[in-house]
Amino acid sequence: MSPLPGFILVVEDSDEDFDTVRDAARRAALPQEIRRATTGDAALGLLADWERENQALPALVLLDLNTPGGDGREVLRAVRENPRLRALPLVVLSTSDNPRDLDFCYTSGANAYHTKPVGYPAHLAVLQQIFHYWLTAVSLPGGVQLSSTP
Amino acid sequence: MNTPSDTPPPPWAGGPYSIKRHGVSLTNCDSEPVQTPGCIQPHGALLVLRLADLTILQVSENSRDHLGLAPDELLGQPITKLVDADGAARLRAFLANEPVERNPLYVFTLPALTESGPLDVTMHTADGVVVLECEATGRGDSRIEPDYYALVKKSVTRLQLAPSVSAFCDAVAEEVRALTGLDRVMVYRFHEDFHGEVVAESRRGDLPGWLGMHYPAEDIPRPAREIFKRIWIRPLPDVSAPVMELVPLANPDTGRALTMTHCALRGASIMYVEYLQNMGVAATLTMPILCDGELWGLIACHHYTPTRFPYQLRAACEFLAQVASLQLRGAEQRESLVYRLKIDGVHNQVIAQAARDVGLMTMTEGTPNLLDGMDAGGAALYHADRWWCVGNTPSVEQLDALNLWLDERAEFLSPTRAVYATDSLVREYPAGADFAEVASGVLAVPLARRRQNVLLWFRPETIQTVKWGGNPHDKPTLTGPHGPRLTPRKSFELFTESVRQRSLPWLGVEVDAALRLRLLIMELVVTRAEQLTELNADLTRSNEELDAFAYVASHDLKEPLRGISKYAHQLLESATALDEENRARLGSLMRLTLRMDSLLDSLLHFSRVGRVTLDLRPVDLNEVVDEALEMVAARRQETPAEIIIPRALPTVACDRVRVREVFVNLFSNALKYNASPQRRIEIGWLEAAEKAGRENAPPHCQRVPVFYVRDNGLGIEPRHTVHIFKMFKRLHGRDDYGGGAGAGLTIVQKLVERHHGAVWLASAPGAGSTFYFALSCDEEGREP
Repeated sequence: MSPLPGFILVVEDSDEDFDTVRDAARRAALPQEIRRATTGDAALGLLADWERENQALPALVLLDLNTPGGDGREVLRAVRENPRLRALPLVVLSTSDNPRDLDFCYTSGANAYHTKPVGYPAHLAVLQQIFHYWLTAVSLPGGVQLSSTP
Repeated sequence: MNTPSDTPPPPWAGGPYSIKRHGVSLTNCDSEPVQTPGCIQPHGALLVLRLADLTILQVSENSRDHLGLAPDELLGQPITKLVDADGAARLRAFLANEPVERNPLYVFTLPALTESGPLDVTMHTADGVVVLECEATGRGDSRIEPDYYALVKKSVTRLQLAPSVSAFCDAVAEEVRALTGLDRVMVYRFHEDFHGEVVAESRRGDLPGWLGMHYPAEDIPRPAREIFKRIWIRPLPDVSAPVMELVPLANPDTGRALTMTHCALRGASIMYVEYLQNMGVAATLTMPILCDGELWGLIACHHYTPTRFPYQLRAACEFLAQVASLQLRGAEQRESLVYRLKIDGVHNQVIAQAARDVGLMTMTEGTPNLLDGMDAGGAALYHADRWWCVGNTPSVEQLDALNLWLDERAEFLSPTRAVYATDSLVREYPAGADFAEVASGVLAVPLARRRQNVLLWFRPETIQTVKWGGNPHDKPTLTGPHGPRLTPRKSFELFTESVRQRSLPWLGVEVDAALRLRLLIMELVVTRAEQLTELNADLTRSNEELDAFAYVASHDLKEPLRGISKYAHQLLESATALDEENRARLGSLMRLTLRMDSLLDSLLHFSRVGRVTLDLRPVDLNEVVDEALEMVAARRQETPAEIIIPRALPTVACDRVRVREVFVNLFSNALKYNASPQRRIEIGWLEAAEKAGRENAPPHCQRVPVFYVRDNGLGIEPRHTVHIFKMFKRLHGRDDYGGGAGAGLTIVQKLVERHHGAVWLASAPGAGSTFYFALSCDEEGREP
């Protein structure tokens, strides 16, 4: 069993955007640790390590679609093709609102798709909504027990 | 032309014809029995002998003048009455051994029997009798016999080298004149309708030139033309000399008239004599030029004083005519090759030009053009929905009608030789009479039949191009001894009638060149189509690249933008010490990032609108308008407006989502740019047949339904109307009238154009604006 309250994996190459995720987590007073992978390959490497060593998996994955070195699409596909990772809650964050991207992500098994607003307050708001919804409102698979958020 | 059935029987019916007895009664050249004239020319004597025993059966009435014996002294006598035993033996040997059937050959010379001097005797057989012609040798005078062999040999060499038909004919005329010393030697060429033209001439310097003159077919009637297919020479040394009748007129053995086709002494047709006399000609010598067994033309020699044509001279001329006939085809081929190379060279240049330049129109506009190759008066090309003309052509309306008529022609359907050529369009197309002077002859090849694209060459009416050496109407009317017939004026009238509404015929080489050009054009068109396909593929590729570019750009541009917004915000939150001015600056910084964000979004959307596949199906526009109004509900709450829909909108084939976006954008603008106390938006349409409101519509939107959105808003100055559809072009301050990226109308235009339609407007400042748009494609996305 993984130690509570678990952690969140953020796949994000932009330092500013990752910083905003942390800001949002801080403002939401999330108890979960935030871990970061800056490329798609790094994210898949981490997931593979944890899986092999039978470690706890993240409670939630925030996935930027356009990361260098194996982009978010590849991460999405690899996760959904792996039976042990298939249930992982995976939320796509992207600059693009291209319908093709939306179609691709939902078809490939993303749990949600959000566009990153350019304005800082709006961006924060989107992230807080995500945290609120995924970490408090819904029940997640894998017996992850999350503490209630304030 | 009279036919035998409606011609009254001739005066000689039932008996042999004689020029002397019946000639004056003739009215019709074609009915004259020129091969059995019953008479000979007086400068020699003719004897008809029975083949079996050489008994004299007939003799010309002038026998005493040349032979010293009257007809009654000769008739029924053996030939030995006239020649000695050696002579008779020689005759028999010739009959037995030489090809004398219908081929007069010189046999011997009789010593002088009268003042005529020694006589050359030629013999041939025809119709089962022996014909002897005795003519004064002419060698009695001091003249030295020319070296005919050397003369002819030189002539033959010259003919073989002639590079063109016209050079060939010049050579023929000059060589024959050099040989004969006659006043005028012409090469007279028969056209397809047998009217003739003087194509070469060599003449005494003081005589008027007849080169290029045309004569009606009647001037050399059919019976005369037929004879010239059988004989190689026709001498008439003294046109006006009285003819001498045969005694008796009919062969006593058979009762038949003597066939005199091959006789050098044959009496001339009374019509011909009269014609020559009317022209002042005293002697003629005529040789045929045959080509593939057909009479191509004549070598016609005129002399203005009576002369002699001794046998040797005739033989040399005859030989020259035969050589000319054999060599003519070669000269024609050389000329046709040169002409063909010339046309093809020009056509290749024309095509290369069209391939390099904007298109086929350079075929008439460029240098060289369609008239530089083909010998024609004008050319026209129907291409890109209009006529391109060069030279003299019918009017555009006449061309349109002609094109419609041509399009129905079976010739245009031929898979291998799609070409129509005529030298008299009027014969098949009566409306062609209106432009016969410029286009009696038409050579046409279809290009793209579906679009009625066609290529045409025109030739003027021959009468427009014919040189008549001095208008015959200016000359005093010549009346011959038998009335006004066969005078130059009469000939001219006949001639103009025969060539009315006709052009020179199109040569095989010209028709072939037109067909080859057609193939070259088709190849060019196919190449163009291939290039277009490639371009389309390139375009699709670059569209996809543009998509990828816009996508990446938006991502890459938005990421730093988010960072800027973030830091500006954090600065504003943390630095409480900032003064008002700097706080305002940070606020602007954040607003600008948002504005740039919205510009990027518009750009992305616009690039996507151009690429999405339209989902075309019948759509009820009333529903679409309701949905669009719903989508601008928020703005309508801010700026309420009265919505007027005078009549229900139709159902049309379109992409529902895109057309809704068109309405949304137009509604937004109508609501936004409106300062009236009572805003009003009218949504309506014009049926396909309605004209009003289409003043600014492009041509392809003249016959389709048109929709409009009318407001009572600010209106637009005419000078701005060209700009309002430009990307990010705003007529008002950035934040006036609710701001906006300035992409709405650009996107509307793009969406409408994707439907093969157009958008336009009618507006005036203060009077509101009406935006019109048409969607002109059908359900399969085709233009109507």
